[in-house]
Amino acid sequence: MSDPGLMDDTSLIPEAEETIRAIHRGSVDAVVVHAQGRFQVVTLTGADEPYRVLVERMSEGALTVSEDGIVMYINSRLAHMAGRSADAIIGRPFADLFSGNVPPQYRSWTPPPEGGTRHEVDLARPGKCLPVSVWAGPITVGDVSASLVTVSDLTVQRRAEEIAIAERFARSVLEQVTDPILVLDNAGRIIRASAAAEEVCGMPPVGRRFSEVFRLQPVDLQHAPQLPSVPPNDFDLMLATRAFHGIEVKLADGRAAGQTFLLSAGPLLDDAKCSVGSIVTLTDITKRKHAEEQQSVMVAELNHRVRNTLAVVQAIADQTARRSSSLTIFNEAFGGRLRALSIAHGVLTKTHWNGVELTELLGESLAPYRDRVRLQGSPIMLPSQTIVPMALILHELMTNAAKYGSLSTSGHVQIDWEMDYPNLLLFTWVECGGPRVQDRKKTGFGSTLIERVAAHELQGECTLEFPSDGLRCKLRFPI
Amino acid sequence: MASEGYNLRLYVAGQTPKSIAAIANLKKICDAHLAGRYDITIVDLMKDPALAQRDQIVAIPTLIRHLPEPLKRIIGDLSNVEKVLVGLDIAPTG
Repeated sequence: MSDPGLMDDTSLIPEAEETIRAIHRGSVDAVVVHAQGRFQVVTLTGADEPYRVLVERMSEGALTVSEDGIVMYINSRLAHMAGRSADAIIGRPFADLFSGNVPPQYRSWTPPPEGGTRHEVDLARPGKCLPVSVWAGPITVGDVSASLVTVSDLTVQRRAEEIAIAERFARSVLEQVTDPILVLDNAGRIIRASAAAEEVCGMPPVGRRFSEVFRLQPVDLQHAPQLPSVPPNDFDLMLATRAFHGIEVKLADGRAAGQTFLLSAGPLLDDAKCSVGSIVTLTDITKRKHAEEQQSVMVAELNHRVRNTLAVVQAIADQTARRSSSLTIFNEAFGGRLRALSIAHGVLTKTHWNGVELTELLGESLAPYRDRVRLQGSPIMLPSQTIVPMALILHELMTNAAKYGSLSTSGHVQIDWEMDYPNLLLFTWVECGGPRVQDRKKTGFGSTLIERVAAHELQGECTLEFPSDGLRCKLRFPI
Repeated sequence: MASEGYNLRLYVAGQTPKSIAAIANLKKICDAHLAGRYDITIVDLMKDPALAQRDQIVAIPTLIRHLPEPLKRIIGDLSNVEKVLVGLDIAPTG
């Protein structure tokens, strides 16, 4: 064979001569030497041997890629990361190493610029892909232009990032949650605490035992879970190792002393589902408890008022029936008095039974004759217990005026009021412009009712006068 | 391997530049001219130098063509494609 690079076993050219020629051409860079009974490989460019050993043994993956994107060399670390043998990768396109979102410069190989490029990609491997950071830069291997690529496993970094994100999230939750939340270790020592927890106990709770910073008092409730009666250390251990749900407690001291909380605790599990402590929450239910108590008071008050109202209705019905000569007269009188009661309840409901402004009551009670009633007085708030009696009195006065007095003709009613120190209200009803009043001998039920209500319900005094120019009623009662 | 298949054995010395160049060149040539008709065995004499005795290897890299017979030997990094094709008795395509 004439070609200096080629020979077969029949060639006359000795292999040694061809070997020397090849070495001179620079197309070989190692020879096999047989000495002292054993074979040994001697590299002819041995200066880079330490670097090759370094690359082979480095903890990062490394490979070289030819100008056309073929893997020429891969170190054992990268082969291990890829889960394949080096031989299965060498000679294959570089892009085949990866899966998923592979950068276009990998798919259609573009040698990296000076300074290199870095991408985060998924290294293909049997089973789950491996997130890796890939750096590629140009190198020259002998006289061959190539690219050097290092591949770093991002699994640990990603896991650390996930943990850091989870940690930040957990911290954010603990900082923003409005209720005290604590994380205890298995010994009952606080290892995390929400900002609200620190605020409630008034000191940094982390590192202390739960019972050191939260002294709990049981709340005596029937048919509800009770706070275990055990020494503080034992209670800390119970909190750390047992589940509690919704035990009502009060704090004995600290900024939230006396406030009511719902105590709950649940196990804190690690990845292996083993308990590593517990999460304790103290939900502030003080307002809810207060609302419940207020509700109970309100129900009792409502019962009381309903009973009172029924008693008043009963009394009015009895008296009206006794003074009525016919069912028609009874119906008219009783109906009017019930309406007066209804008006009183209506204005009281508007203010949640917290008192009513006098002009409001006057406006509602005297609505049919609003244009013929003149009011004079400073704003006065009547207490709620005076509203029903006043409504009844106003109804009787208005009915009487409409039947016999100034409202039966074109007259009007002048109402004045003022305070008599310290807490007496002077209220005057004067009828003007009505028919002349005849001698008043017979006292009707209306007058009786006004006087009785003023005396018994308003705890005050009432004067009814019948001058010829119109009825005058003076009330004086405490408010 | 089919009767016309090529059974090739490439002796390299670890990751020396010529060795890795020879691997890349050989794969490229085979893919281009012997697609589906070749079988390459890469023998790393760095790992076991005694294997050099089997094919009397002296210089690295060296490519041995076992099949088809006769046995042929190409020394060097296989960068000269034409010479490799001639040495392996492969008619250039394209």
